[in-house]
Amino acid sequence: MKKYFMIHDENLCIGCQGCSVACRSENNVPSGVYRLQVHAKMTGTFPNLKMDFLRHSCVMCEDSPCVTVCPTGASFKTAEGITLLDHRTCVSCKYCILACPYDARFVEPQTGEIGKCTFCYETRLSKGEQPACVTVCPTDALTFGDLNDENSEVSKIMKEKKVYLPKEEFKTRPQLGMIANRKGGNNE
Amino acid sequence: MNNMWGSMAQYNEIYWPWPIAVYLFLAGLSAGAMIVALFLRWKGIELDKISSSSKFDGCFKAAAIIAPITICVGLALLVLDLGKPLSFYWILIKYNFASVMSIGVALLLLYTPLAFIYLLVAFAPQIKASNISILESLSNLVLKSGLVKLMEILLFVLAIGVGVYTGFLLSAISKLPLWDTPVLPILFLVSGFSSGIAASVICGMVFFKDNIDQHVVAGLLKFDLFAIVCEIALLGALFALMFSKGGSSEVVAVQALGSGALAGIFWFGVVGMGLVLPIVIDLTVLKGHAYKPTAILLNTLLVICGVILLRYYIVYAGQIFTGA
Ligand code: SF4
Ligand code: SF4
Ligand code: SF4
Repeated sequence: MKKYFMIHDENLCIGCQGCSVACRSENNVPSGVYRLQVHAKMTGTFPNLKMDFLRHSCVMCEDSPCVTVCPTGASFKTAEGITLLDHRTCVSCKYCILACPYDARFVEPQTGEIGKCTFCYETRLSKGEQPACVTVCPTDALTFGDLNDENSEVSKIMKEKKVYLPKEEFKTRPQLGMIANRKGGNNE
Repeated sequence: MNNMWGSMAQYNEIYWPWPIAVYLFLAGLSAGAMIVALFLRWKGIELDKISSSSKFDGCFKAAAIIAPITICVGLALLVLDLGKPLSFYWILIKYNFASVMSIGVALLLLYTPLAFIYLLVAFAPQIKASNISILESLSNLVLKSGLVKLMEILLFVLAIGVGVYTGFLLSAISKLPLWDTPVLPILFLVSGFSSGIAASVICGMVFFKDNIDQHVVAGLLKFDLFAIVCEIALLGALFALMFSKGGSSEVVAVQALGSGALAGIFWFGVVGMGLVLPIVIDLTVLKGHAYKPTAILLNTLLVICGVILLRYYIVYAGQIFTGA
């Protein structure tokens, strides 16, 4: 069985928001809400400033609080570890939004449906393609693939580089890892 | 943190607004009133001696009728607050027993109809006197078959379940420090009980004036005083736990107790109006369980306002102060 995993290399990311734009158009995300944003975080004191670009989206927790709290089972995990949503049985109680430690879910303004990143499961993954954000990133900061396949790009990166998992204290075991930024004024 | 491009609105929204707070209040009130009704029945009414001329205590009748009505209004609010109100039936069909919300739905599915059926007991004398034959035979069926005892025990357990589950509903959200505490379920049960007592006294005195037993009112107020003291202790425990946990819990505790309108609601509304003032009235004007209707009404109204504000405060402060 495949285990999908995504890695965001914060050293390579330039905060261009290309991924966010690609996500919007691929998934018809309504205006005002986002499945994915890249946030800029400034640290240090002038002139020694450091800017980090942090991906903000669903991290596809293996132990996902959103799935645990959902009363109807509308939020569920696929065998490959992707957290998805059955819009038919979701009543939009918003319990999952409150439970998600990553603030990855939102209400779509017009329809009342719950939205979140799906790794482009419906439109791309199921056809064997990579998620839209991954294909569009100009610096190849995003890598996506099967962690159970030793020869995949993500497996190699996992072995070679230090990948951290966001908000580990919640013990949700994300399937979206990050490589911490070492660049910037502080380190030059 | 800055998003450079786009909008931060979706990360700061209140996803459970005031109708949820009111629902949590009404569910607690219903559970509390049901417990009051059961206690009064067990203490003061012999089932096999009920006739069309029996006079039941006003507070008992009030409590029995408050329980089903408030839970229905609460559930209506809950459904209307869904993003997809017309899909609500899925929540009745599909269950995930890892979810506190599902457990709550299951409890309410039993509790609500039983609370209505219990009216056949609470208003048995009126039903007998009314000569509406279907109701009369239903009421007799419940009373004579020995089902009542079983139903009452079940209702008691369910009422406690409804009272605590609203607390567990919030405490399951571990990312919000104000909600993520084991104190919340007990606090909600006790304050729900307190509001149930207060509402039973008020409605008894207003709607069933002729059947009010002053000793019953005095007894209920004594219970309420006890509940209020417990509430103060529980609130103390809640914040003490948050401070002792440190980190974001401590930050949230400081914010929730010290900043802005919500802190005002907590100190003046919840603590001052809802807890301290009723104790003061109890120990002064109503000392020795004097039967002074105006003072009693004032006292119970204050208690109810305090409990509403407590739910409002917890729901909003929990979502606004995240410690992030
Ligand atoms: S990040 Fe949030 S929405 Fe995604 S799987 Fe984890 S809890 Fe669910
Ligand atoms: S909003 Fe939908 S997906 Fe989220 S917990 Fe409620 S029913 Fe489940
Ligand atoms: S497209 Fe690539 S470089 Fe641009 S913000 Fe997204 S991850 Fe960063």
